[in-house]
Amino acid sequence: MAGAFVVKGCQKIGGPQIRNLLEAKDFFLFDCDGVIWHGEKAVSGAPAVVNSLIRRGKNVFFVTNNCTRPRESYVHKFSRLGFTDVILEQIFSSSYCSALYLRDVVKVRGQVFVIGCDGLRRELQEAGIPCVEEANDPDATIYDCPLAADVKAVLVGHDDKMTFLKLAKASCYLRDPECVFLATDNDPWHPLSGGRILPGSGSLTAALEVASGRKATVIGKPSRFMFECISSQFSGVDPAQCLMVGDRLEVDMLFGSNCGLDTMLTLTGVSQIEEAQEYRDSELTSNHSFVPDYVVDTIADFLPAFEELEEQSS
Amino acid sequence: MSGSKCSKLGGILLKQVLDSVDTVLFDCDGVIWRGDQVISGAADVINRLKEAGKRVFFVTNNSTKTRTMYAEKMAKMGFKVAEEEVFGTAYCCAIYLKNVCQLQGKKVYLIGNPAMAQELAAAGIQQTGEGPDLICGQQIDWANVPLDPDVKAVVVGFDQHFSYMKLNRALQYLIRQDCMFVGTNRDSRLPLEGGKAVPGTGCLLQAVETAAQQKAQTVGKPSKFMFESLALQFGVDRERCLMVGDRLDTDILLGSNCGLKTLLTLTGVSTLADAEAHEKSGCTERQKMVPDYYVDSIADLLPALQA
Repeated sequence: MAGAFVVKGCQKIGGPQIRNLLEAKDFFLFDCDGVIWHGEKAVSGAPAVVNSLIRRGKNVFFVTNNCTRPRESYVHKFSRLGFTDVILEQIFSSSYCSALYLRDVVKVRGQVFVIGCDGLRRELQEAGIPCVEEANDPDATIYDCPLAADVKAVLVGHDDKMTFLKLAKASCYLRDPECVFLATDNDPWHPLSGGRILPGSGSLTAALEVASGRKATVIGKPSRFMFECISSQFSGVDPAQCLMVGDRLEVDMLFGSNCGLDTMLTLTGVSQIEEAQEYRDSELTSNHSFVPDYVVDTIADFLPAFEELEEQSS
Repeated sequence: MSGSKCSKLGGILLKQVLDSVDTVLFDCDGVIWRGDQVISGAADVINRLKEAGKRVFFVTNNSTKTRTMYAEKMAKMGFKVAEEEVFGTAYCCAIYLKNVCQLQGKKVYLIGNPAMAQELAAAGIQQTGEGPDLICGQQIDWANVPLDPDVKAVVVGFDQHFSYMKLNRALQYLIRQDCMFVGTNRDSRLPLEGGKAVPGTGCLLQAVETAAQQKAQTVGKPSKFMFESLALQFGVDRERCLMVGDRLDTDILLGSNCGLKTLLTLTGVSTLADAEAHEKSGCTERQKMVPDYYVDSIADLLPALQA
């Protein structure tokens, strides 16, 4: 699956090779945090790259495990940070895809118990999926809490208002084997600026897996589902024509590998090139799925390639 | 270890087994009580064992009571028990932090409960964190939450106030301050009366371990620490010791790990089918969870104790 190159494995590429990639690929999938922005700050050059790709007629998608905002909110953020050509339909977040999964795959009839932020609930409501109301029940204890009727799914995502009571309720609902168990993503921690991290959805999901004795179906990367959402909404998406660009080996590169896409690691985020090289040199073949095909220091490295392509066509 | 395993205990065999041991260890939840409801006949069993000259101890993964609280609960239910005979994880965790981690006079960040805070204080260890802790401020505030520089360990036990903020603080201590990491136990559920259950400490511990990508040392069964503390304090002969429990993966496994005879009672979590499944598996690890004997309830020991 290696485009114009023979060797798979952490190739740091520059101008001419990037230019070849730009010509060979029609679909560019970008992770967001650590790739095109850090918090509220765009990665220098990233807006120009994204805008240029779109103007050149490339299909650009954003595939993020961040489940705290609804897509409308992302559109505003893209615009605010200078990515002026990005529209709603290009954004695939784990919260949006969780709603699609519940609506189209599970075809859920009944309510969903959500452990997550408002952003996640809004995406479900947008898709017409009823969520159990957040109860403000001062008398409820973990030993004796009122449960809603007809709960057919439990969905776990990042929840800064997570409490023991929510964990207790969710594990009660999950005693029914007919009740579906979903997680927006498995990321154990999220990076913030300045090298800080926060507990991720993966840690909350792990707690509930222990409580219920069941394993969650994970919607977000590295699971294939978000790519399937893209393919079902856009025609002609051919894995061979795709490039997945991300910053986390165990999430983005594995996602690309699982979907049969070429992968590119950018070094502006979580993973270091040394980690990629370790995976490449590992004897465990399963570790090879974490290895990117290509590596760039930053996606701004695409810019000289655009300039060259511009010169060529003029 | 005898060739046959998982034999029903009664009649002559029961007498033989009781004669072959001087010390009997009992788990609590699912063995002598369920929540606040005593298992019928349990108090008689304990009291008569002691009258017959056996030493009786209680070894429980439940971290929500101090030894004093356990002794009080047991007295109310008719058990003739002294504090020193009870080994709960609140007490054992404090002992572990004091003796093994050398934290006497030091401080820990505690995700736990008042009983744990009390046992820590009795061991000369300060704690911060016990009680409700709700989120406020922004994401960046949480990640930069101020850390008490005196905290040397993150300790996780049963905490009904568990919240994202507590999980976050534990993560920040483990990542930013190079702390030791200790958990009371990994039980996934805390059993209550009427067959109900509540998520156990194992869930909270897993959440912290996942976020921090680090594994905690655990004090409770099946880790040998609680038995070894008890054996050290009281000079117990393993060859003449019986472990009685309701969970194959904690009680029986502890018994196997320490070379004790093991008795499964069916009034709690594990079933006979579970035990037989482990026995039929070819796996050596799973064989350790097969009990030597089983009874429907510990009240079944009474006939041998009537004389």
